Amino acid sequence: MNEMKKTAITLNVNNETYDIVTYPNRTLLEVLRDDLHLTGTKESCGEGVCGSCTVLVDGTPVRSCLTLAVAAQGKEITTIEGISLGEKLHPVQEAFVNHHAIQCGFCSPGMILTSYALLKENPRPTEIEIRRALSGNVCRCTGYAKIVEAVKSLAEGGN
Amino acid sequence: MRLPPFQYLEPTNVEEALSMIVAHKETAKIMAGGTDLLNRMKLRLIEPAFVVNIGRLRNMDGIDIGDAETIIGANTRLKDIAGTPLVNKRFRAIAEAAFQVASPTITNMATVGGNLLQNTRCMYYDQSGMVLSGLERCHKRGGTVCLAVKGSKRCFSVYQGDMAPALIAFNARCVLEKKGSMRTVSIAELFTGNGVAPFAIGADELLTKILIPKPEGIYSSAYRKLRLRGSVDYPLASAAAFVSVTNDKKVTTCRVVIGAAGAAPKVIDGASREADLEGIAQKAYDHAEGVDNLKMPGAYRRKMVSVLAKRAIQAAIEDIK
Repeated sequence: MNEMKKTAITLNVNNETYDIVTYPNRTLLEVLRDDLHLTGTKESCGEGVCGSCTVLVDGTPVRSCLTLAVAAQGKEITTIEGISLGEKLHPVQEAFVNHHAIQCGFCSPGMILTSYALLKENPRPTEIEIRRALSGNVCRCTGYAKIVEAVKSLAEGGN
Repeated sequence: MRLPPFQYLEPTNVEEALSMIVAHKETAKIMAGGTDLLNRMKLRLIEPAFVVNIGRLRNMDGIDIGDAETIIGANTRLKDIAGTPLVNKRFRAIAEAAFQVASPTITNMATVGGNLLQNTRCMYYDQSGMVLSGLERCHKRGGTVCLAVKGSKRCFSVYQGDMAPALIAFNARCVLEKKGSMRTVSIAELFTGNGVAPFAIGADELLTKILIPKPEGIYSSAYRKLRLRGSVDYPLASAAAFVSVTNDKKVTTCRVVIGAAGAAPKVIDGASREADLEGIAQKAYDHAEGVDNLKMPGAYRRKMVSVLAKRAIQAAIEDIK
């Protein structure tokens, strides 16, 4: 077994600074959920396929299961907890609720953050662009149509 | 899935990275985007004592489109390659390949250097320890059998990178640096063709840049890929084509590189003078390995290599028109 020492790291998550001591082999996903108790980010496949662990790093959607926590230092990390204002949902979250784009909810944080990043970069995406952006996020309930509709409603200028 | 233990090293410049990898050689693995390496580590296919994260070395990042040569830093994210209009205009196959890698979120992380140097894959190898514990130790795991081709004395694992065929179609080269020296080799020469050890790179060498010469005259290119889904998957067969023509639209060069059809991308020889579609398709078929070790049957994948070779050439010719 290889040697490993704990290291002190500083993470900026949802505009808050967290100082933690952890092992370098821990992923950002593990640290977010187990150390920071931000359990909105989900683990599913653990190998970068399903998208349920998606978080934003400097505004870009990435797989937190394939990101080392130690390597995420100095970057702005945004989780699903970071886009709502307290009890008030973000418009992307509202659109998902209003369009019934959520069933079990396990893929929703990843879907919402990916859509959020898409709309920031491209406020009026076409349906093809929406489907392309979400193509790395797997949903096993909705069949995707409602999710695409929710994002489209925002692309067309709000719902 | 948890990662095995390792010591984490983060160089602040290329020099420091080279010192780290020469100090630890085979016990260290270099991480750029991490999308391939961390998965292999989670499966315990590799358990390096050191992980050297070069992902933050910004001077290894970026696309510099020059008149004679285009330089792409090894750390350049695939998303940036796919999204650069001038890359798409001049090197269409390269942009198309980058666009089709895995999923958009993966290409936000994955780099061109990491994609080029991703290890070969096989359904009897890329598995968890639990699955592998029930299988005989194959060539790629240091054993003496091949589970994909019974009785084979060699490994039939498949190179499933998307970028290499497209880069080779443009005769791209790359810069390998090590402490005190550097060398430039063609991308095609990076590959050994041996599935057990697919790359001809020393453990003390770091791939830092990719150099793409600007082709002469009128030309275009295309990349076509067989995949199960439209996203999040590796090529099961692929082909990149580069076609150049004279002013009166006579084909002068037609170079096809096939991928996911063996342990290395293969340049289809003899296809350089004319776009004889059926002849090239047949050659692509002859050069492709079709083994039942990925998610689609080998015989089908092999046929699709020739189909994709034709489609890539046709797309390139169509683009010239």
